[in-house]
Amino acid sequence: MKISMNWLNDYLTKKIDAQEVEKKFNLMSQEVEGRYSLVDAKGLVIGHVNSCVQHDNADKLKVCQVDVGNEILQIICGAPNVDANQKVIVALPGAVLPGNFKIKKAKIRGVVSNGMICSLDELGVQDFEKKETGIYVLNDSAPIGKDPLQYMGLDDEVIDLDLTANRPDLLSMRGIAYDVKAMFDIDISFDKPKVKRVKEKRELSIFTETEDAPVYYGQIIENVKIKESPYWLKSRLLAAGIRPISNIVDITNYVMLEYSQPLHAFDFNKVNSNKILVRKAKENEKITTLDEVERELLSTDIVITNGVKPIALAGVMGGAETEVSDSTNTILLESAVFDPVSIRKTSKRLALKSEASSRYEKGINHELTKEALDRACELFVELADASIVDEPSFYNQLEVNYQDFELSLDKLNKVTGHTFEIDEVKAILKRLDFDYKEKNAIFNITVPARRLGFESYQDIIEEIVRIYGYDKIGMSLPKTPTEGKLSKKQQFKRNIRNFFSHIGFYETSTYSLTNQFLATKYDVTETSLVKIMNPINTDREYLRHSVIPALTEVLSYNHARKMENIFLYELGKRYTQEAETELISGLMKGDFLYSLWQKQAVEVDFYLLKGIIEKLFIDLKISDFDFVVPENPIPNLHPGISANVLIKGKHIGWIGKLHPEEEKELNVKNVFVFEFELEKIYSAYNENVKQYEPINKYPSVSRDIAVVVDKLIPAKDLYETVKNISNQSLIAIDIFDVYQGEHLDSQLKSIAMSFKFENKEKTLSNDEVDLMVKRILNALEEKHNAKLRQ
Amino acid sequence: MQEKINQLVDEAVNEIESIENLNDLMLLKSKYLGKKSEFNQFMRELKNLSNEEKPKVGQMINLAKNKINNHIQEKKEAIEKAKINEQLAQETVDISLPGKKISLGKKHILTQTIEEIEDIFIGLGYQIKEGPEQEEDKYNFEMLNLPKNHPARDMQDSLYISEDTLLRTHTSPVQVRTLLENEKKEPVKIIAPGTVYRKDDDDQTHSHQFKQVEVLVVDKETSLADLKGTLLIAAKKLFGEEREIRLRPSYFPFTEPSVEVDVSCYQCHGKGCSMCKNTGWIEVLGAGMVNNNVLEACGYDPHEFQGFAIGFGVERIAMLKHGIDDIRQLYTNDLRFNSQF
Repeated sequence: MKISMNWLNDYLTKKIDAQEVEKKFNLMSQEVEGRYSLVDAKGLVIGHVNSCVQHDNADKLKVCQVDVGNEILQIICGAPNVDANQKVIVALPGAVLPGNFKIKKAKIRGVVSNGMICSLDELGVQDFEKKETGIYVLNDSAPIGKDPLQYMGLDDEVIDLDLTANRPDLLSMRGIAYDVKAMFDIDISFDKPKVKRVKEKRELSIFTETEDAPVYYGQIIENVKIKESPYWLKSRLLAAGIRPISNIVDITNYVMLEYSQPLHAFDFNKVNSNKILVRKAKENEKITTLDEVERELLSTDIVITNGVKPIALAGVMGGAETEVSDSTNTILLESAVFDPVSIRKTSKRLALKSEASSRYEKGINHELTKEALDRACELFVELADASIVDEPSFYNQLEVNYQDFELSLDKLNKVTGHTFEIDEVKAILKRLDFDYKEKNAIFNITVPARRLGFESYQDIIEEIVRIYGYDKIGMSLPKTPTEGKLSKKQQFKRNIRNFFSHIGFYETSTYSLTNQFLATKYDVTETSLVKIMNPINTDREYLRHSVIPALTEVLSYNHARKMENIFLYELGKRYTQEAETELISGLMKGDFLYSLWQKQAVEVDFYLLKGIIEKLFIDLKISDFDFVVPENPIPNLHPGISANVLIKGKHIGWIGKLHPEEEKELNVKNVFVFEFELEKIYSAYNENVKQYEPINKYPSVSRDIAVVVDKLIPAKDLYETVKNISNQSLIAIDIFDVYQGEHLDSQLKSIAMSFKFENKEKTLSNDEVDLMVKRILNALEEKHNAKLRQ
Repeated sequence: MQEKINQLVDEAVNEIESIENLNDLMLLKSKYLGKKSEFNQFMRELKNLSNEEKPKVGQMINLAKNKINNHIQEKKEAIEKAKINEQLAQETVDISLPGKKISLGKKHILTQTIEEIEDIFIGLGYQIKEGPEQEEDKYNFEMLNLPKNHPARDMQDSLYISEDTLLRTHTSPVQVRTLLENEKKEPVKIIAPGTVYRKDDDDQTHSHQFKQVEVLVVDKETSLADLKGTLLIAAKKLFGEEREIRLRPSYFPFTEPSVEVDVSCYQCHGKGCSMCKNTGWIEVLGAGMVNNNVLEACGYDPHEFQGFAIGFGVERIAMLKHGIDDIRQLYTNDLRFNSQF
């Protein structure tokens, strides 16, 4: 809502300053989006062109002698429409026009020019005239030497309010005046409209078939002379951001701005009926609206009909057939109340939003339907020489229930945590124009009809506090005695993030919504997909099943920007129709550790990834984990360089290298990824206090062996065999070499293992250790046909 | 004899001085102090001396031997020290060469901001609650005093999954879930961080996905003053100890009264600058007293209970704190950006 300060000051008994208004609105009412002068120009006067002759040295220029009151100025003008005996707007030397354009005395082709004759466009005013052809010519009564902006009502300041949905009352200048009254604690006054009605009978019956149009007034206005509106009216509409059109339209808009009551003018001769029926549209009924678009209607839309067919889409837009035109003589003026929800639905469905529909949607003051109509009538007489014939026809099904709320001083003080005095509250309610009764510090407050949407005493508290000032409320803290902490799961999630960030991974933040292909790209099993009914676009249509596609996208983005070493993780979710499953996902590419000048690097490979995951589990005190060859290939992973990960035998996710085809598509090589279900790791996460194990005081003994086996036998199988036949003395097995190639059959490989033995009771003898190693070798031979490598 | 010994000692000391390595020093040691040395010869000759002279000469010989031995020991230490110095000189590196590069890794700035907010409120005794992102219309809107066709639903253009489910448009449904879940209707003091969605095209200031942290306190005497005090603590912790706060009226259907909260500008300290558009204040979040309709819908008697709610926009806080001018940077994951925090 744009507030014209001139307009506002009309209602006030004391003039107030725009800057103060801005400040008060910001702190006590609604946020101010902007404050500006309607015309940003200084140094203008009204001049009279005494004479206008051709410039000697320029075809298109005229030399004018202009009377500006206290002197005659010679001004060169290039406008095609400048002529003698015009009243014009003169920018004197020293004037400043919009865009900081300074006017100076100048010589144009040898002739002195003392200023400039202005067009409205040069003053930054658009739409004041239908068609501007050059300089602006004022009407004959313009006073020479005076300020033209003041004469035209353009000397205005505008405050642009950003309204919240609970303050539809501020969509009217009268509502604004009420709020200013409360904020400034000053008096306001409104004039009652005075209408002279011609006492002649006119046949007009108005009735309805719907409850969604509770009030409807129709007034016949005859002998309407369509013309331009006067300066003051145009200026006020411009300040409000509404384009002046003709007196009929301008009057309806002006009254709407004044009362927030939308009005609609029909060309009564085109209505072709003396009956107005307001009803719900019939299914598939059609109407062509003012914008020449044929609209198909639903039974939820309200229409105004002439008894036969719709002539307007109630509260949203008029019909083209009954539109007023230059030849209109008699109008039917509508002032009505429609159901907010119904208007909102229609306006939304047809994407037709207007000043009227947005006021109906938010709710209008039911008490002003007739007064607004009268105000318009008054202006029709004044500005369109019209005759108001007979009283308006109407129906009114509305029972006005005033909203009463009880609020005790105790409650107010308890909710605010502040001690209000009873007189303070009374003074504020008075400023707000809220009627109240008070007994024993209990207020019974009646909310005026102009303030809609109050639900409880809480709304009253808000009104009292905003007028009192939020800054005057003290500060304290809730007394609720509670323990502040992260839950075990929340701490676990922080631990996971700490682990990956500290070990060298960057956490990403990517979108959950994606397209169908990427949403399911890494699906191992088929699960339900969540689709958005009204997506922003097809790339944001589905909730993802995996974070990996987003991570590969981040990889591509960074790789294209010359980043070589990319380590990413994210705590995301897999979304299905049944559940949201938390995931920990990651991606690795490039050197994990490197030194260029030393020509050393640890490039990521399967075993680095595996080592990091093993460290994660050990850090979380999870011991029973395993990496197994997937039964079915994991989609988009290298089938030979990927593994399923199990904890306590349960599948929790997978790790591996991207499939070469996938790497080709990304144009990046050696990319490793992993994705686990967080909950499954969490359920194995052991937070129990670990009991200390005494450190063995007897020394350990190491033995290394190398065996030759079939190259297809996984190292893990050898491990298992060794573990199974060994007793507690074997405390560690490690593989320190794997060899294939020269001196070995191509079907074989050599695996070198290191064993560590110790005993808690004694130092192991060489013989004892040798015996154990022998048993290990025998078992390996028996089970895997492993031969000791000589 | 005396002369002979002195001569021998001088001879040995001279020889020791000229020696440069440990091997030669050992040879010299056996030459003078070994079994075949002249001193040993002297010792053997002692028996030929008178009983009177025996101890005198014996002592003389021992003193001489000790002297030589000391010199040898000194020399040995000197040689060893020289050797270590030589090694140190050889091993000295150019410490200005770059260190090995280890991948750094960071938490995302949004995570850091959420954890910062969480820690402030944990310190004030709050617990952390979470809720689903696929939310029921009932929890996201209806029970928050936003019935179907409420004009304020326009403020939040939503992404729907079905008639009754949508991607939550704010973290406020966690308020409803927490209050409903509390069967004994005890006081509640929680914060709820999470991801939310709106039907917005992504641009410099809009993101269809973003993060919020919701704060909710419901108890018998939780007041507007408590809200102000809590906001001041949060503002000071997030934006600096000298910060002040300012409340302005606003509107949210689920709170009444509702306020916008400004923090005094931390760039110009309230004098007015481009950051605060010359107002001295920066709008950071919305808050208010819980609307009675919400309490009632969740089974809390509004005659008995009252409370406040706060909604942090995590992106906004992070962008203000770190001078980030485009919200999309928070979702692009350019590592040159992510590595800065």
